[in-house]
Amino acid sequence: MDFTAVIAQLPRLVAGAQTTVWLSVAALACGAVLGLVMCAARLSGNIALRAVAAGFVSVFRGLPLLVVLLILFYVPPNFGIETTPITAALLGLTLNTAGYQTEIYRAGFLTLPPGHAEAARMLGFSRLQIARHIFLPQIFRVTIPALTNEAVDVVKSSGLLSVIAVTELLRVSQQIVSSTYRPLETYLVCAVFYFVLSSTVSWTGRALERRMSLKPA
Amino acid sequence: MTELMEIGARNAAIQLRGVGKSFGAHKVLTGIDLDIGRGERVCIIGPSGSGKSTLLRCMVFLETYDEGEIHVEGRLLGYSVEGGVRKRDADVQVAAVRRNVGMVFQQFNLWPHMTALGNVGAALRVVKGLPRAEVDRISREALATVGLAHKADDYPQRLSGGQQQRVAIARALAMSPSILLFDEPTSALDPELVGEVLEVMRKLAGQGMTMVVVTHEMGFAAEVADRVIFMDGGRIIEQGPPSRLFSNPQSPRLAQFLDTWRSRNHSGSAS
Amino acid sequence: MIDLTALAEFAPAIWRGLLVTVEICAVSLMLGLVLGLVVALLGRLPFRPLHWLIRGYVEIWRGTPLLLQLFILYYGGPSLGFTPSAYLAGVLGMSLYTGAYLSEIFRGGFDAVPPGQIEAARMLGFTRLKTVRHIEVPQMLKLVVPPTTNQMISIIKESAVLSVITVPELTLTTTRIVSETFNVVEPYLLLGLAYWSITSLVAFASRRVERRLVQA
Repeated sequence: MDFTAVIAQLPRLVAGAQTTVWLSVAALACGAVLGLVMCAARLSGNIALRAVAAGFVSVFRGLPLLVVLLILFYVPPNFGIETTPITAALLGLTLNTAGYQTEIYRAGFLTLPPGHAEAARMLGFSRLQIARHIFLPQIFRVTIPALTNEAVDVVKSSGLLSVIAVTELLRVSQQIVSSTYRPLETYLVCAVFYFVLSSTVSWTGRALERRMSLKPA
Repeated sequence: MTELMEIGARNAAIQLRGVGKSFGAHKVLTGIDLDIGRGERVCIIGPSGSGKSTLLRCMVFLETYDEGEIHVEGRLLGYSVEGGVRKRDADVQVAAVRRNVGMVFQQFNLWPHMTALGNVGAALRVVKGLPRAEVDRISREALATVGLAHKADDYPQRLSGGQQQRVAIARALAMSPSILLFDEPTSALDPELVGEVLEVMRKLAGQGMTMVVVTHEMGFAAEVADRVIFMDGGRIIEQGPPSRLFSNPQSPRLAQFLDTWRSRNHSGSAS
Repeated sequence: MIDLTALAEFAPAIWRGLLVTVEICAVSLMLGLVLGLVVALLGRLPFRPLHWLIRGYVEIWRGTPLLLQLFILYYGGPSLGFTPSAYLAGVLGMSLYTGAYLSEIFRGGFDAVPPGQIEAARMLGFTRLKTVRHIEVPQMLKLVVPPTTNQMISIIKESAVLSVITVPELTLTTTRIVSETFNVVEPYLLLGLAYWSITSLVAFASRRVERRLVQA
């Protein structure tokens, strides 16, 4: 094994890793907003809203991200809608994680005792105020472990964006392979990058969990 | 008739007429007529499953009621009547009608992500939109009333059950209610912590607060209540001043209930 | 907008692709189950270096994308004198990947049986084997089945990346149809439907199994 050719390309890998990070962060953030909206819809009293949210979850948790990306990238041009790799990537990654985050938030919500909302209602809180001041802060606290796993999954899944030519970490590695003819070394170095990224996410999640855990007397 | 009822409703803090409720086929409340006067202290007792907690929760529309009418401070609770048809109110209207009613729950229901002070001040901040300094002043005052000024910055998990319930009382008090409802406020507490909560409740009773208390604490009822209501099977079976009700029960069911209670507590003194 | 004859034309090929996907997933899952169980059991031996080795395996395989792991096997293997077919690289890669997840699930299952129960069984005269058989395994199963079925669904979805290393499964079959016929909408519609149906089917079946286990 000879890593010199790959080491020379480290700056490109770092740039690729940066793309991986910002795409993951953006998808996770957009997915959080969409996931919370879908979660609210799933828990609402309105049957139509509930059905829409259930369908959304079923579809995006039931389809491979790769398939979602292929569809988002190749199908819209058929109907006269131009797509770029980045928009398809961001949209696909967001929809995928939103499907999972919806269920994470719902599970988190179901752990909260109903009395929390009753107490707030008795003090005059509106539904929106209850959601904002009572549910949201607690849901984030109880779902940190699940959200950490989801963030790791998103970072890993973002490797699929290489298939639609987004120059993230894995795509950059493929490009390096095609010029250096060193697949084993290049992909091993790429694996180190991913491992560092996902370990950082896990470690941060655990630290956050410890900090926000409720310590009894 | 309706006019008379309106007049009565205005004088009563809470007025119930013919209130009934079912969970599916199971009737949990039947024909409840009850007037809670201003400044009156009422204790509701009865075996578990008698519907007393449900009744209390109906008084603030945490449970809907199917039959009859409930007026809070003269206003119909939970429904509007339009052209003889009863329509359920939006949350905002319900909240407006019960805005002077505070509630204390069996399980405290403190929000674990806020300190004691944060719990007490949350509604002042979020619902009333008061400035920070004002929120702080009122919250600390309320905590002082329940003797927990020194615990302001502690999270609920760090407080004993009794302290948590006192914070919950302070939280209700901070909104300056004219009526306070208590749903078995001491039932979730270890026996040695019951006293401190009852102490706070006694103090409130002494200050002229209108109180409705669902409780198993007969000693408290005997000492503080103006009127005790005995419920069984979803109905009010008997009511009256505690002195008469406890010493001279008219109905066999109340007599039996009191006997059971006495035999269970014969060794200890009532708290 | 959607051409029904095109749907009918592509359906048989996509069906064959689906069968390949199911086959690879089934084989990988079996191998992954065995691997996961072996790793979980080895992890219970009181031998420190083994624990580190297992930790390393689990963390690395769960911390990197499956697609990258497949690239390393398929394109990197030849540098080490190992030249697997796409199919073999696929099965091997997916088994190792699943094994890492399943070993963690099984470890959790073993840890969850309180030692007091095992002591109680021993005091009643249960042999070690009978304790495992009648006390530990039934409880572990209840705990382990839901995450394992989730893992099954994951595997089916993750298997789509096998198309990138040219395993002729469902996704590759479809993308080939797309590039050969220039039909985009119908093949992708079938593709989406195929994955959604099979993952929904597995999810539905596993819920039934879970319900029966909970009642048992």
